[in-house]
Amino acid sequence: MSGAAGLTLGFVPLNDAAPLVVAKERGFFAAEGLQVRLSREVSWATVRDKVATGALDGAHMLAPIPLACTVGAGGDAQPMIAPMALNRSGAAFTLSRRLTVYMAPDEPRREALVRMIAERRAQGEPQFVFAVVFSYSMHNYLLRYWLAEGGIDPDHDVRIVVAPPSRMASRLAAGELDGFCAGEPWNAVSEDEGLGEVAMRASDVWRDGPEKVLGVTAAWARREPAALQALLRALLKAGAWADDPRNHAELADMLARPEYVDAAVSSIRRSLPTTNFHRDGANAPLPAQAAWLLSQMMRWGQAPRELDLRGVAEYVYRPDLYNQAVAELGWAAAPVLDTVDGFADGTVFRLDEARAYAASFALGRLARS
Amino acid sequence: MRVLVVDPDPARAALVVEGLAGVQPLEVRQAPVFDEHEAASFGPDVVVVAADSPDRDTLESLQDASVVNPRPVVMFVDRSEPGLAEAAVRAGVAAYIVDGLAPARVRDILEVAMSRFHLMHQLRQDLEKAKADLASRKTVERAKALLMKERGLEEEQAYKLLRKLSMDTGRPLGAVAADLLAFAGVLKGDAG
Repeated sequence: MSGAAGLTLGFVPLNDAAPLVVAKERGFFAAEGLQVRLSREVSWATVRDKVATGALDGAHMLAPIPLACTVGAGGDAQPMIAPMALNRSGAAFTLSRRLTVYMAPDEPRREALVRMIAERRAQGEPQFVFAVVFSYSMHNYLLRYWLAEGGIDPDHDVRIVVAPPSRMASRLAAGELDGFCAGEPWNAVSEDEGLGEVAMRASDVWRDGPEKVLGVTAAWARREPAALQALLRALLKAGAWADDPRNHAELADMLARPEYVDAAVSSIRRSLPTTNFHRDGANAPLPAQAAWLLSQMMRWGQAPRELDLRGVAEYVYRPDLYNQAVAELGWAAAPVLDTVDGFADGTVFRLDEARAYAASFALGRLARS
Repeated sequence: MRVLVVDPDPARAALVVEGLAGVQPLEVRQAPVFDEHEAASFGPDVVVVAADSPDRDTLESLQDASVVNPRPVVMFVDRSEPGLAEAAVRAGVAAYIVDGLAPARVRDILEVAMSRFHLMHQLRQDLEKAKADLASRKTVERAKALLMKERGLEEEQAYKLLRKLSMDTGRPLGAVAADLLAFAGVLKGDAG
């Protein structure tokens, strides 16, 4: 492990940074001979740029970021890979109390939104404003998918803006936002402060859908294969530890510290179970899931329609590197899947028909043009 | 020049004002956090923000080609962030300034960022227009082929007919061709 024994990894203050925090605090990095410095970052653009330029060796990243970087969406193209997933699920959509007070307790939230959007339009009032954490995020695609499924056009019927997760609660309180889709603990924090109510969880749209990955540049992975494998083993073991409910009290205390998430322990503690850090092969980076993310980028006009979805998905999401690490641990290899299911609406996504799938939605940029 | 400095520390805005001394007219506004409505009403020519600001993701989302009024964004990085400065310039929508903000360099940096931004914006618009032109040319080709097949015309005659339709109706050639194809589709649908 030539000069790479000392690594700097970035994370954004969220519950799902847990594998990095646990690997550091519980000695999983040290056990692999790695000296790791964790760098707390406050924006995804900074995480991306720092990894791209080598200021960070790797980072906790939104699952679509390595894909967006590789195809040059939102910036210069920089080949990145995702050799493991850090978690599945955990994101949620919180609606402001200012809205939910006009909804009957048993009224399905999306139907209530459809009703209130129509009322607003009839009265000539401004559109609802919902925030996501980054343009290239599961949060953006989840919220859009969920709204569109209910007949709400995310580009025309509401406004979707970008805001930092840690500021969602205060902007909800100030009335600048009517809702937001972000990772935990920020939904739990808003609920616990009486500002909003969770209207949808990631698992309501897609059971065990992707959320965060470990992102490194393709060049770094080629240059430091031994360090990468050591890093994967440490993070996989840390993920297994973080996933065990018996460790959640200790994990919540750890995450709540000012150098990590810096939020109320109780909010972190109660929102931990919505995230899967390990079970059912949660850490396998699956190209078929990556292709679904690319299909949504294409659907909403973020990626060119002639993009080779399978090619990009297989270049970025690397089960081969993951399999090498789990083989050392005696864990099961990643399944080879050409389809993805688990969607609440019963659809099955096929890797070979990804482009047709992207164009198949009634609402989306491809359908309109 | 209108400059919006997004920084909780007013010292940064003071540096910008100092560096832009002599620029007329000049309005520098400082905001602790980025607020879209405030920014829209102010209408800055350029936005200055620290690279480690939580507002970066919001600002970046406003750089999308789909946004009506994108603004150039200048980011500064302190020496304590080695490597990041190596990025120097990203995608032409933002310039990284190395070594924090030094008043002596502010004016040059802001001007370079703005001209680069407008150049990139122009290139992007040109690209969109080129794509649209290409699509329109393809439409004209297909309309020509349709006329040749249905009316037994030579290529030259088909093109002249399209051009005449365009001049008679005062509409672009591509639009006339698109109408023709659409009507042909409807007629075929009726017949079938």
